[in-house]
Amino acid sequence: MTELTYSGVPASVVRVGAVAKRHAFVLKRSPHRLFDVVMWPVVDTLLFGTIGVFASRNAGGAAQVPLYLMVGIVLWHVVYQAQIALSTGFLEETWSRNLLNLFTTPTREWEYIAGVALFGLVKLVVGVGAVALIAWTVYAFHITSLGFGLLPVVVLLMAIGMAISLFVIGLVLRFGSGAEALAWGILFGIMPISGVFYPVSALPVVIRPIAQALPTTHTFVVGQTLAQGHPMPWGQLAIAASATVGLLVVSTAYAAWMLRIFRERGYVTRYS
Amino acid sequence: MLQARNLIKDYRRGRAVDGVDLEVGAGERVALLGPNGAGKTTTLLMCLGVVRPDSGSVQILGHRLPRGRYRAMEQVGFVAGYLPLPERMRVEEYLHMFAHLYGLRDPKAAARRGLERFDVPHLARAMGTELSSGQRTLIGVVKASLHRPRLMVLDEPTASLDPEVALRVRTGLRDLSETDGTSLLVTSHDMVEVERLCDRVVFLSHGQVVANGSVGEIARQFGRDDLEGVFLHLAAASEQSPREAAEQRPLATEASS
Repeated sequence: MTELTYSGVPASVVRVGAVAKRHAFVLKRSPHRLFDVVMWPVVDTLLFGTIGVFASRNAGGAAQVPLYLMVGIVLWHVVYQAQIALSTGFLEETWSRNLLNLFTTPTREWEYIAGVALFGLVKLVVGVGAVALIAWTVYAFHITSLGFGLLPVVVLLMAIGMAISLFVIGLVLRFGSGAEALAWGILFGIMPISGVFYPVSALPVVIRPIAQALPTTHTFVVGQTLAQGHPMPWGQLAIAASATVGLLVVSTAYAAWMLRIFRERGYVTRYS
Repeated sequence: MLQARNLIKDYRRGRAVDGVDLEVGAGERVALLGPNGAGKTTTLLMCLGVVRPDSGSVQILGHRLPRGRYRAMEQVGFVAGYLPLPERMRVEEYLHMFAHLYGLRDPKAAARRGLERFDVPHLARAMGTELSSGQRTLIGVVKASLHRPRLMVLDEPTASLDPEVALRVRTGLRDLSETDGTSLLVTSHDMVEVERLCDRVVFLSHGQVVANGSVGEIARQFGRDDLEGVFLHLAAASEQSPREAAEQRPLATEASS
């Protein structure tokens, strides 16, 4: 006789918690993973913060450069941590050949994704916290100076990071471990054309339309506007939110499609 | 318990499963046998809803797959001898996680009970990487039986185990089946194990069911003394074309009569 009832706690909540806890054990026993969570964010902050200070001291009229760089690096790590946490969480199951075990439990796909994302939030708080702390203590930049407008910006950037990782998961399901490199590399293709560290007007003309189509671009414009002390640019925020929702819908549909192909073609045997 | 009807699966290399019907009754212990490439694992994975059949249907405890897969899996345990344990978890952490995924109210008690059933409570604090292959298999079986499933699906559970550990796995599975009424669907290349554990045998060759019955019935059908003889006969036949293999079967049946 199975014991399938909970005293007031839905089974889905327990499953999400179990998946999150599993990934907490992975991080606890893999200190090298802290490189993704803390080390790179700290290195990036020191690098871009120092470039900003150098530019402001030596180039006339470059007072905005350090602000762009600091806002850019802190907010960029929201996208990075959200994306890398979910992507590597899923990859961990392929590395440990645990996919078949998971697929033969009552766990729903969304419960699994939610569990990994939940622990990803912890990593995100640690990673972005480290970046924000360095920016504050070394460069006197307070990310909270963006005010309450920071909240929707962070939410949108997290959603974008997760949407990109769903796309990566779809690629790994379809193409196997060969697509793993995208987990780390895909954001570095998006960053230069998203106006993270400079306005889109600084990009080559031919790239600007691509930049304007990305939700990251509009979200960073919102962050940069707030950092300059201007009021919330609601129009930009609306565009950023719409584009983010669109990206989420497309990436979820893509991952679901790839999962269907994964089941149809028996690709699970790649990981067993 | 499990009803699979006319399962067909094509891969790029050809047809892996070709119209398989498979049924496992309540408390029944069924072996799915056949040479390498006969379609056993694909059939199992389709029965579990992990691989989608091109046609055919699977129903577990009244839940039709794929729609009812999640509900069905609440009552199913799966273990494969070839799957490792996650590297960065202790055995008890691994078992607690799966107990939560299966929806158990008291994961710690379930894990303790499972470890004791298979006589390995001392492994609770071990890391997955510290276990021998036999111990890993035992923990895999414990994991699959945590929720006292009504059906356990086992893919080569005792592959590469020494006889003592294989015996312990077999004894534990038999005990599980007899005390909890759990049905077993097992693939194995160890014919002696199958003879000792299973009530019924389904032989696959070229993705088709070529025999279905008790060990004695199947040995008689193919005119052999035991399952190993049947297996060797079918393995030799599988080197031929499916048509030749099919043609040879009635001859063997005639020879035995």
